[in-house]
Amino acid sequence: MFISIDADKCMGHGRCYSTAPDLLSDDEEGFVAERGRCWAVPDEQLDRAYEAADSCPESAIELLETAPTDA
Amino acid sequence: MSVEPTETFRGVPVSHTDFTSYTEIYEHYRRLDADREAARFQYNDTTDRGFFMLQRYDDVQRGFQQHTTWTTAVRSALNPGIGEPLLPQDLNGPPHLRLRRVLNQFFSPAAIRRMEPQARARCVELIEELRPAGRCDFVQEFAIRFPTDLFLAVLGLPTSDGEKFVVWSEEFFGALLAGDMSTAAVAKKNILDYFTEAVDERRAHPRDPDVDMVSRLVQADVDGEELSHDDILTILLTLMLAGLDTTRSALGYIFTHLAEHPDDRQRLVDEPDMVPKATEEFLRLYPLVFQAGREVQEDGEFEGLQLTKGDVVWIGIAQANRDPRKYEDPDTFDMDRHGASTHLAFGGGPHRCLGMHLARMGIRVVLEEWHPRIPHYRISDGVELTERGGQLTLPTLPLEWKV
Repeated sequence: MFISIDADKCMGHGRCYSTAPDLLSDDEEGFVAERGRCWAVPDEQLDRAYEAADSCPESAIELLETAPTDA
Repeated sequence: MSVEPTETFRGVPVSHTDFTSYTEIYEHYRRLDADREAARFQYNDTTDRGFFMLQRYDDVQRGFQQHTTWTTAVRSALNPGIGEPLLPQDLNGPPHLRLRRVLNQFFSPAAIRRMEPQARARCVELIEELRPAGRCDFVQEFAIRFPTDLFLAVLGLPTSDGEKFVVWSEEFFGALLAGDMSTAAVAKKNILDYFTEAVDERRAHPRDPDVDMVSRLVQADVDGEELSHDDILTILLTLMLAGLDTTRSALGYIFTHLAEHPDDRQRLVDEPDMVPKATEEFLRLYPLVFQAGREVQEDGEFEGLQLTKGDVVWIGIAQANRDPRKYEDPDTFDMDRHGASTHLAFGGGPHRCLGMHLARMGIRVVLEEWHPRIPHYRISDGVELTERGGQLTLPTLPLEWKV
């Protein structure tokens, strides 16, 4: 499963990296540091990844079966 | 059986609900819940301009994302077009983002973590000052003092100025809400003189702009231009207006809840690790800014609702936070609630509350430091709590405890 974070939608609420601190981290401005990226989620982080996606008030996080071809 | 004809305006039911009065505590949440359940969208005609109400969680969330066509030309559906100029709030689009980027680093979780020890020490001092008396007006003697000191600390100004500053900010805020513009002007001048002194001092003796906000503001490069002195003062005034009354009000509702629910209070005493989760659930259940306003800039449709340029939209924060379509048993406090942190108490979109991480830290520190020192407290006998509409607050909360 791949996690994709839309850099334009992220507004720095900080819920995702509080929810999944071993998967996501914050930058100095409070945005999720991994925004704009898409990468494979380690299996043991998958539950946290779904929670992080659910916790985003901007719907900026998506979980995808396959990596987008243009990534 | 007769059916009441429903009054409509541009295809949606009309609501006459007033959200601006002083009432008994929690009455506004009852009105907000009732309006949300009456219809998905409503048109409220209690203000001169009227407003279209988005009330369900999904609509509220999407409403905050309409920022390219709905702007903060109206910030509150209840007060369209009046009030103090605010920065960065009054800006939209790229100029707004550029100014937010100057400020973000002072309000990020990383920055707030750095100031937490100072905040905690100040919080303990204030609690210890009150504890021996066995009673206090929690709102007047604690809940407004602590956020004021936090605000000064974020600005890099001495928290010892809090005592005089809180008098000015209370006069200013109270006079603004009462529409008493001459009193507001006097209080505002005291505040601006105080800020001017700080800004001039930082111009003369700049500190590290990576950690000192006022130094950063006087040196800021926004699109190749410096911020004007007046804009810096407006920014500082905005942070004050946004941070003080709201945090005070949140603490008032939280401590009312805990005074009236001994089981929840005891759990925080016994399990301080629950404080962060409890904080999110409190923010969900008791949002003070229960709505945000926006002004529609071009004709369009939102989820079937036809809007035209100049319409005022109500984005129903508290209605979303208590929407049964989103949260099970939404009017009940549940410390273990899964997904409480999806609440929209701090808004959404590019204008989401800049101070959200500061507010969370402040509330968490109060809950963590108050309860080991004053674990049992109650609301004084004979008190009937009231709340102010518009933007919720409790004018007073008399608490008592054994010493």
